[in-house]
Amino acid sequence: MAVASAPNAGMTKFPLVVALVAPAAAGAVVVLGERLYRELEVRLAGAILNVITTSGVYVAGDRESVYFGLSGAAPFGLRMTPECSSAFLLLPLLVVTMAMVYFRPANARRLFFSLGISALVVILMNQLRILTIVGLVHWFGTDEGYYWGHTLLGSMVSVFGGAVSLVLFVWLSTRKKAERAA
Amino acid sequence: MSVKILLAITQAFALTMSVAFLVYVVVIVVPYLRRKPAPVGDAGDFTWHFFVPCRDEQTVIRETIRYLRTTFRKAHVWVVDDDSEDRTARVVRMLWRRHGGYDPYLHLVPRVRPEARTGKGDALNAAYRALNDWMGPDANRDDVVVVVVDADGRPAPNCLEVCAADHLFGDPGIGAVQLDVWMSNVGTPPPSRHPVGRWFGLKLAQLQDLEFRTAIAAIQTSRGFTGTISMGGNGQFTRLTALDSIAGDAEEPWRGSLLEDFELGVHLLTAGWRTGFTPDSHVAQEGLYSLRRFLVQRTRWGQGTMQCARYLRRIWDSPHVSTLGAAEMMYYLAQPWLQLLGSLLYPIPFVLLVVSTAGDPAQMWTWFTGGAWILFVIYGSFGLLPFLVWGPIYQLKCLRSKNILRGIGLGFAYAAYIYTFYVTSWRALFRLVRGRNGWAKTRRNTEQAAGAKVALDA
Repeated sequence: MAVASAPNAGMTKFPLVVALVAPAAAGAVVVLGERLYRELEVRLAGAILNVITTSGVYVAGDRESVYFGLSGAAPFGLRMTPECSSAFLLLPLLVVTMAMVYFRPANARRLFFSLGISALVVILMNQLRILTIVGLVHWFGTDEGYYWGHTLLGSMVSVFGGAVSLVLFVWLSTRKKAERAA
Repeated sequence: MSVKILLAITQAFALTMSVAFLVYVVVIVVPYLRRKPAPVGDAGDFTWHFFVPCRDEQTVIRETIRYLRTTFRKAHVWVVDDDSEDRTARVVRMLWRRHGGYDPYLHLVPRVRPEARTGKGDALNAAYRALNDWMGPDANRDDVVVVVVDADGRPAPNCLEVCAADHLFGDPGIGAVQLDVWMSNVGTPPPSRHPVGRWFGLKLAQLQDLEFRTAIAAIQTSRGFTGTISMGGNGQFTRLTALDSIAGDAEEPWRGSLLEDFELGVHLLTAGWRTGFTPDSHVAQEGLYSLRRFLVQRTRWGQGTMQCARYLRRIWDSPHVSTLGAAEMMYYLAQPWLQLLGSLLYPIPFVLLVVSTAGDPAQMWTWFTGGAWILFVIYGSFGLLPFLVWGPIYQLKCLRSKNILRGIGLGFAYAAYIYTFYVTSWRALFRLVRGRNGWAKTRRNTEQAAGAKVALDA
């Protein structure tokens, strides 16, 4: 009979308490430091926009805002509100990781790796959302571009990004290693 | 923490739960639609024993026994009379003494209070012990299969050949097989005096048929990949040696939770058996016409699922359950809790909307017509599509009808049907908190409800 995973193998490598406290602490840091997180998000967006656009970018970190198209006729700024941030989307991933670490500590390393990849996808997808808005504002003008970019496509990117990160998390954290005979 | 932060957190969890469910539905739809019928086996390779637990079943048991004995002539039928207050036992005895002789394939297992009426699991365990006594200690048990059928159940005539197939009981590692479940009364309206009542009752039965033949069948099919196919209360086939392996000294393979069928599957899987599901055959049962009985039934199932959360540790600790399998079972067991959480989270945006609209209707109208309506369409679609999709699938795949419009209508009705689970999950929680863990069976359609309670605490 094939055994997919053995719960005791390597369990001692990762103390359970540490494995549980780490994601809980990460969640607390995200919630308490959400303003700083949003500032980092707009700084990352500014850096990306600096690379892919030529019309000037300004980041107002204290207002969690990024301005673009500065040399054009209609410069535009986007503010990263708590609802728009990817910060809180990390919380469900942290909760699920904690639950799975609690029940099968032997998988802790793999779970933290999956969490890291999925969190990265969530963060990058939010950047993609910002870029979508910027692109549509550039192509269709301020009103039309923001309207479609923020309301429709932005939401779709969020949902698609969430789906990709969840699928990745489940796949990475549960895929079987080479099976061995019992 | 500001309200805005709290709102953002609730929004993040609501989005994640919705997206997770969307992904889950996509993942289960694909293998369900792609599945092809599998080869059958030889039913003569096995000995079959039907267990029919009965508690006040005089209205349906006669026809069920006749059906089982004429359709499966070489199968034994064990009727457990759980100290019925009606004439169930007498009906069985009459059928036993037919044509001047005794039917050697029909067995009555009488139970008496206080041991009786303590749950379906106990009744099944009594039948298991009776079968053991009847077989004797030296009998060959390897090729014996026990089939649990409800008192109104009608297993399809091909079910034994289907379950005997090489990929099911033909595989010695398979401990149990669950049949697809159909509703037998989808074309028979209830005998209500009001046309609306007849229409509603019929639709409710049809929606139960839709649920079992599409969504539940798809979940079970996808569980074939995670190795976590679960057992149902009707059309449940289990190898006798698998029951032996989990029965213990007390000879009790079925345990005492309200979801004894799911519980059986957990014990088998964690003992190293594999479980199977087949939509190539089915068992038909009566769908409920009454919304009240339906809500009671689903409250019981929800409470049973909540009770089974105690098996999480056992599931995760088992070396026989993969991480994906354990995660799938945890997701299933979390469903009533997620419904409770969802019922708290999902209304928050709407409450805020109502508050904002009351404060400044003109501004809200501008916001709504200025593009926010798209958000409502998107989130409305996310809330409906995972349920709506089953309507057309049922119409095309199960009914072989191209009436897509009817399928879409059924899909909308199915969404409303599923939303009743938000109510039943809360009822289940209240019962759990108050320690009310006993249930009597849900009454059958043929039982007159006048003055009778739908279900009682045991």
